[in-house]
Order: sequence, then structure tokens, then C-alpha cells
Amino acid sequence: MVSKHRNEIIRKKQRFEEKTGWEDINDPALDRASHKLRALFAVAIVFLVSLFYLNHIYEIQITDHQLYTLKAEDNRIRMRPIEPIRGNIFDRNGIILAESYDTFDIIAKKENILSKDEFIINASKVFNLNKNQQEQINIQFENKKLKEITLKKNTTLEEFTKLSVDQYLLPEMELVINSNRRYIYPKAMSHLLGYTGKLSQSDFDSVVDVKDGMTHVGKIGIERFYQNLLSGSPGYEKLETNANNEIIRVLENRPALKGQDIYLTIDAKLQNYSYDLLKDKEGTIIVMNPHNGDILSFISHPGYDNNLFANGISSKDYKKLLNDKSKPLFNRLLSGQYPPGSTIKPFFGIVALEEGVIDKTNVFACTGAYKLENYKRPFKCWKKDGHMDVNLSSAVASSCDVFFYRLAETSGIDLMHDKLKKFGFGEKTFIDLYGEKKGLLPSREWKNQSKQAPWYPGETLNVGIGQGYFLVTPLQLASATSMLASGGDSVTPHLFLKSSDNNKEQTYNYNDNKTSINIDIDSLHIVNEAMWRVIYDNNVGTASHIKKIEGIEFAGKTGTAQVYNLDKGKTGAKSLQDHALFISFAPFESPEIIVSVIIDNGGSGSGVAAPIARDIINFYFKNSKTKLSKK
Amino acid sequence: MNYSNSQFTGVSALFKIDVKLFMLVILVVITGLATLFSVSGGDYNLIIKQLIRITIGMIAMILLAQIHPDNFRLFSPFLYIFGIILLILTIFFGVGKSADRWLDFYILRFQPSELMKIFVPLMIASFYSDKALPPKLNNLFIAVVIIIVPAILIAKQPDLGTAVLITSSGIIAIFLSGIKLTHIFLGTGLVIGAIPLLWSFMYEYQKSRILSFFSPNQDTLGTGYHLAQSKISLGSGGLFGKGYMNGTQSQLDFLPENHTDFIFSAFGEEFGFIGVLLLITLYVLVTLRGMSISIKATDNFSRILSGTLILTIFLYVLVNIGMVVGILPIVGAPLPFMSYGGTSMLTVFAALGIIMSIKSHQRLMRK
Repeated sequence: MVSKHRNEIIRKKQRFEEKTGWEDINDPALDRASHKLRALFAVAIVFLVSLFYLNHIYEIQITDHQLYTLKAEDNRIRMRPIEPIRGNIFDRNGIILAESYDTFDIIAKKENILSKDEFIINASKVFNLNKNQQEQINIQFENKKLKEITLKKNTTLEEFTKLSVDQYLLPEMELVINSNRRYIYPKAMSHLLGYTGKLSQSDFDSVVDVKDGMTHVGKIGIERFYQNLLSGSPGYEKLETNANNEIIRVLENRPALKGQDIYLTIDAKLQNYSYDLLKDKEGTIIVMNPHNGDILSFISHPGYDNNLFANGISSKDYKKLLNDKSKPLFNRLLSGQYPPGSTIKPFFGIVALEEGVIDKTNVFACTGAYKLENYKRPFKCWKKDGHMDVNLSSAVASSCDVFFYRLAETSGIDLMHDKLKKFGFGEKTFIDLYGEKKGLLPSREWKNQSKQAPWYPGETLNVGIGQGYFLVTPLQLASATSMLASGGDSVTPHLFLKSSDNNKEQTYNYNDNKTSINIDIDSLHIVNEAMWRVIYDNNVGTASHIKKIEGIEFAGKTGTAQVYNLDKGKTGAKSLQDHALFISFAPFESPEIIVSVIIDNGGSGSGVAAPIARDIINFYFKNSKTKLSKK
Repeated sequence: MNYSNSQFTGVSALFKIDVKLFMLVILVVITGLATLFSVSGGDYNLIIKQLIRITIGMIAMILLAQIHPDNFRLFSPFLYIFGIILLILTIFFGVGKSADRWLDFYILRFQPSELMKIFVPLMIASFYSDKALPPKLNNLFIAVVIIIVPAILIAKQPDLGTAVLITSSGIIAIFLSGIKLTHIFLGTGLVIGAIPLLWSFMYEYQKSRILSFFSPNQDTLGTGYHLAQSKISLGSGGLFGKGYMNGTQSQLDFLPENHTDFIFSAFGEEFGFIGVLLLITLYVLVTLRGMSISIKATDNFSRILSGTLILTIFLYVLVNIGMVVGILPIVGAPLPFMSYGGTSMLTVFAALGIIMSIKSHQRLMRK
């Protein structure tokens, strides 16, 4: 069949060739030569192109070998940081105040997600998401700031293992371990401990030693100040992954170094007790050892729930805190500035004695007001009828204003400014926290600079009773009080007691903590005794009405600081009420602690602040197991 | 008709195969199998599948080697028209993932465009075999039509890569048939002039592929990703390579299509520049052997056909390697004798079979 067909074609061809004529028929020898030439030309091109190719490949494989080796390593090697466990925070007796714990989240990095729609569809299958939850994921996609999609928060390892069965649907999903922070006494310790939060841009140029792999840092409080001790050192895992980002093997593993545990000088029981005493009031309490600066209670009331911040506070909660009229986010103890009021009188008294402005026998008559030249209105004493004849001791005990007006006029503002400085007024105490304010010890120079106005004699009188421009922070006042209690030693208030690593322990350096302010001991005794009379002299003592403590005598000084407010129209509103102040130390004979209480707009120092201090002293000596060294 | 028996002894005489050409190709095939074994992570199933394809290819080669070249010449118009019909059918009934390139006959599933890789050179060689050479302009025009019709049909599928390759093999055939220099210039001018026209007919993805060729670094995860990873694989291989089964790029799947289109990069990663040099040398030797057969062939049809087929195979090698090293755009062309896949393997072995048929059926000179 085939051959018959073939023959027919050949015949047809022959007929065709006959028609076309011989000139169209090839000369075989010529064709052969022509073809050979062209074939050799083609071979030459084959050689040339091959050489060109080899040259190109040479450049990739030999010339750029280093570059591509790096890129290949980049492809397959992932560094996975291991976040260190943050050190815990304890009180002086080892009661835990802040601790770290791990939670597990399932996330997907955006850079690994190729198709958003496909991802959401698959995620819905794996996690059984409803419409609302899908929309949540979509919102996370829209948020350009987020680098990863959180699929499930606070899950467990077991649950992740179960979900891993569906990993083929959602290869992007991965488990991340989050180190979280829990505060055991959220409100009472909030202004003391602060909180941790996500590492932000502002942390980079700060005191924080930012290391690769860190995700959270202390933002404020002790968490911030001791960030570098608490944080530890992140480790890493060097992983080999394939193109699907699946881990093939671990090439190298450097474990993280746990952060150090920190023990604070705080007595947790006393702290909580003190905090609860303030109930609905706004104010501060400091309990401190006057001999070594250990702070036992550090209260700024009201506090806030710092666990909210540690877990990433919602904007709703944050707004609520910001708009709260009692200002729970404001650390009054460090940043609040109050007129010291009559609590300045013991300090001024010492200065006046030391400088010979008066001696202890000098007696002035208080008629309820003090007349100053060129001033129409007299300067009033808090006691309308006057204190009759007073000396320094009874002036302090009865808090006679007229006595101190006179003292101020005699001393002059320059001497007052220069000598009161040694108690630390107008200077930071350099406590181990950030955000401390300086207060204001006014002077001629200061007024000239900040108000472009001369100093008036009437202003000197106001400073003499702790009013006018005079401002102190609660911490300054406590620190100054401790100088009275310690017999003239200035100690830096501090919260750090010791830190402990696995094997080494680092204790607070008490040697550098103490300097003498060269106080005249006789003068100090006169003033301290006057402060005892505040409580125990039933005739003159401004706080003599309060309930005493059995077995323990203490000394103190009340203060009722007037609040000046431009908005005079709203007199009687709470914000215009006087601040109530009380400074004290106990026991009187050999002081172990000082207690300083300030209640914002709380009324009188004797009525409001003094009983609180009394309760704290009582609680301390009844319950506190640790008796503090006197040094 | 006499065969010069001295050239054929033993097995080669029995199967009418050219031992030199066959041995060279076998070396390439073994290299391909070894690379496949490595990139698949030691997958024997894959190797067995590929071995079956190679066997089918070799059987096709041996069968074709038995057929006298005259038969190819006589049947070439029918084969060509048959191929065109299949291509038209593909446009209407074709199946495929991204483009309708496949015809499904239930028992047989194949790409008609693959057949045209052989049928077009066959048709040109056959057309010119009885024309006076160098071809006259009107014959040249007919040859161009012979090439253009299937090229357009294939480009329509859309499979631009294969269309360009088939056009190129047609051009090689015309070149070997003895085209005049002036015609070459004319043709070159026409092609350059046609580029803007072609561009306007292209699909978006075809355009983006070509664009990505010119700036592959702009989107490493998009269209340029393949090339970037391919270069990383080759470049990190260095002079001696990372060693057999040690290529991180291919073993960890960073190199996409590492057992099909990008097998050369996987090979280069593990065997380095030395390996690449040897492999390219092997391909050149295959081509040289084919060209030697073409030069020694006794009639124009045999000369044109064998030359075109072997140069076309070499062209496929150039296109594949050119694409994975960044000389040419990524068009999706397999590496002859090495890439995993049945159709391409069958085509190149079939082409080899025809060349061997030409070699083994050499006639004595008529004059």
C-alpha cells in the first residue's frame, strides 16, 4: 500500500520536474560545497555563542561568587531571637511584686503572606473564624504599622500542636512566645514599679540598652530605671529554613541570659497598708529610714492598674485614665510640687538659731497679725486671736505664723535661700527613678530672672511660713525630714536594695549614700523637741488632739498649705481647698523611720494628714518584722 | 542503493544508530538523571518515571532511525498539514493550566506544538529539496508562510516561547538551504520592523515576563524571582560547586522549577563552573557530531533536515541556559535531555532518530 502510494508521488514529481526544466535542477557538487560552507559557519556560531555563554556564566559563578554565596546564605538562614526572661522584682522581705510569665500567640508575618484573600480564607478554615473575626484580620492587614497578623492570642502549646495539623493550609502561621509581665499589687505599686511596654522608636536614643531581639522594655518607674539590670540578654537560634519558611534544622543555639532579680527597699505590707489608708483621697506618703535612705513606702494616690499597660492598654482604657480628674497617671511623689506650708518652720527655725538671728530664749508677742512697713494689709497668723508670747520652741509647736514672719523679716530672703538649701530644697534628691522635679526655693536672683521683677519684703514673709513661691516635692520634704531625724545626716533616698543573679549578688552601696550637712546639734534638739510638743504638748501642740501610740513616742510637724488659684470665682471647690501636710519621725528618742504625708486639697494637716502618719507609725512598729539598722 | 557497510558494525548496524552521537547524548542523559536525583532529595519514583520517558524516547529514536529519509520527505506535507489541524483543534478544544496547550485524547495527551518542532523543519527541508538552491524570492516567501502559520497558531494558545523557537528553527532551515545574503538582510529588517507589531499582540503576562527580564532585581518575589534565585544558585556554586546533593538553593526549594526548566542552575550549584564547562562542551560535541552528519549527507533534503534538527536542539539548549543565566527572557523552555518531562524528551529523541536515519541511510553519490 505504502510503496504504491509512494511510487505515485514520485511519478507526479517527475512530471513536475519535466515541466520546470533543467536549469532549476541543482548541481549536487555545488550544493554540497555551499552547504558545507554554511554548516561550518553555523558551527563557528555555535562555538562563539558557547564561549559567550561560558563567559557570562564565569562572571556569575567565579567573579560574583562571594555576592551570590551571601545571598544564598541569606535565603536559607534565619536568625530567630530568643527573648530573655525579665528579672522579677521583690520587696525587702522577698515578697514578689512583679513577675514574668510566658504566653503563646499564633501569628503570621506579613512578609510571608503572598495573597491576603487566600490567607484569610485558609485562616478561616483553620481557626473557624466568623465574619467578624475575618474582618478583624482584614483590619490588621490594613494597618501598615503592624508587621504581623495575630491569629490567636494567649494560646497553649497543646493547642498549637493540634492546629499544626493544618499547617499545610496556612504555612505562614507560627507560634511566638511572649514574655509577659504581671504586677501582683497593680494599683498600690503602680507609681513605684511603673510598667513594661513594646519597644518603641523613642527607646532607642534613651538610657535603655537596646539589644537585638528585645521586644519589651521598661517604660517608667523601677522597670525603666533598672531596665538594663532586669532585661537580661537575648539569645538567638540560627535556623536553616526552606523556601516555604519551614525549619529544616537548628544550626546554632545561643540561649538567652535571664535578667537579674531586683529586691527593693519597699516593705510590701507597709506599702499596701499605707495605700489603703488614703482611700478616696489624693496624695502621697513616704516612709523612709532616715539613716540609710531606704524607702519603705512609696505612695502616690490614686494609682492605676499597671497590668493594663503591661498587656498593651486599649485606647479606651487609656483615655479613661487620662480624663480621670484624680489624675491617676500623675506621680505626685516625684513630680508634684506643693507649698510646704508650716512644715518649713522646723527647718527655718534651725537656720535662724544657727545663724544667730535669734536664740532659744527670744520671745515675741503674737497678736494675730504682723504689720510690715509699706504694706496696707497686715500679715495674718492662722490663729486670729494670736499666740501671746512665744519663743522658737512654742512657735514651732503651735505653728505661730507671726513669729516666723518676724524671723523672716529679720533674716532676709538671701540668708533664707542660702541656708535652707542645705536641706535639699530646690534640688533633686536623685532617687533611683526618672521624672523627679526640683521644686522651687525662691531667691532674689530667681525672681529677677523668671519674672523680671525685684524681690518685695512681703514675699520674704510668705516664704517664712512656706507659702508664696516656695514649692517642694513630697520626696524633698521627706528627705529634709530625715535630716532632722538622723541628727544632721543627708542620705539619698533610694528604692534599690540588691540585685541577684544566679550566683552573684549586688547590694546597694550605702557608703556613698551619706553626707553630713553640719547641723548645730543644740539647735536641732530645740527644734526636734518642739516637734515632739506638736504631738504631746496639750497646751500648744497643733496635733496634740490625735490619738497617741502606746509605747512609741513620735515627733511631727503639721502644715496646711494655702492653694492659690487664679480662678477665685469658684471658691469652695475642692481644688481650692488647702493641702494637708504632716512630717514626722519615730520613735522620738532614736528615730527609725520618718513618715511624710501630703493630702491634696485635704484640709488641715493636723486633722487629715497627722492621723494617717500616726496609723502608719503604729502599723510599722506592730507589724514590721524587719527592724532596720540604724547605721 | 548501497550502504557503506564498513561504517556500521554490530549493534549500531542492527539498530542503524550513530554510536558517537548516541554515547554523547547518553552522557548528558546520565548527568540529567543524577541532577534530578539530587534535587528531588533522592526520589527513586521520579527517577523511574524519567527513565520510562527516556526509554520511550530511545525506542522512538530507534524506530525513526529505521525509516528511510525519502519517506520523511514524501510524507512531510501530510505531517505538516496534520500538525496544523491539531493546532487549530487545540485552539478550540485545548486544555491546560494557564494556557490551552494540550490536546486530550483520553489515552493520549500531548502538545501539538511539540510535534511542530519537528514537522516545520521537515516541511522546509522537503520544500527546498527539489528547488534550485539558493532559493528564489517566491520560494523564500512560501517558506516564510510555512513557518508563520503554525507560529501564529501557537502564539495564540498562548505559548510565545514555542512560537519563537519554531520560527527560529524555520529560519535555521532556510539558512541551511542556501539563502542569499541580501535576503538575510531583508529578513532581519522585517523581523526588527515586526517587533512593535508583535508587542501589541502580546498578552500582559508575556509582556511582564519580557520586562522582568530587563530588570529582574526590581521584584525579587514577582516575575524576576525565578531568575534571581537561579543566579544565586549558580553563583553560590563557584568554581567547584557545593558538591553532589549539597546544593542549598535547590535542596531547600529556593530555586523554583528546579527539576524542569531550572535544572541547569541546580546542576551548576552542585558541580560549579567546572561542571558547567563540561556540560556545555558535551552539548557542543553533540552538535558537532550532528553537523558532521549533515555535512556528509548525500542530498539536500538530508543535509538541510539533519543540520536544522541538530542546530534546533542546540538552540533549545541555548534558550534554556540563556534564560536561567539571564541572557534571555524566561519563556519556559526545557533543557534538552536533562529536564524532567515527557514531551520534550520524546521530541529531542525523535529528532535524534531522524538524524540517525539520515546518517545510516547515506547513499552513494549519484554522479
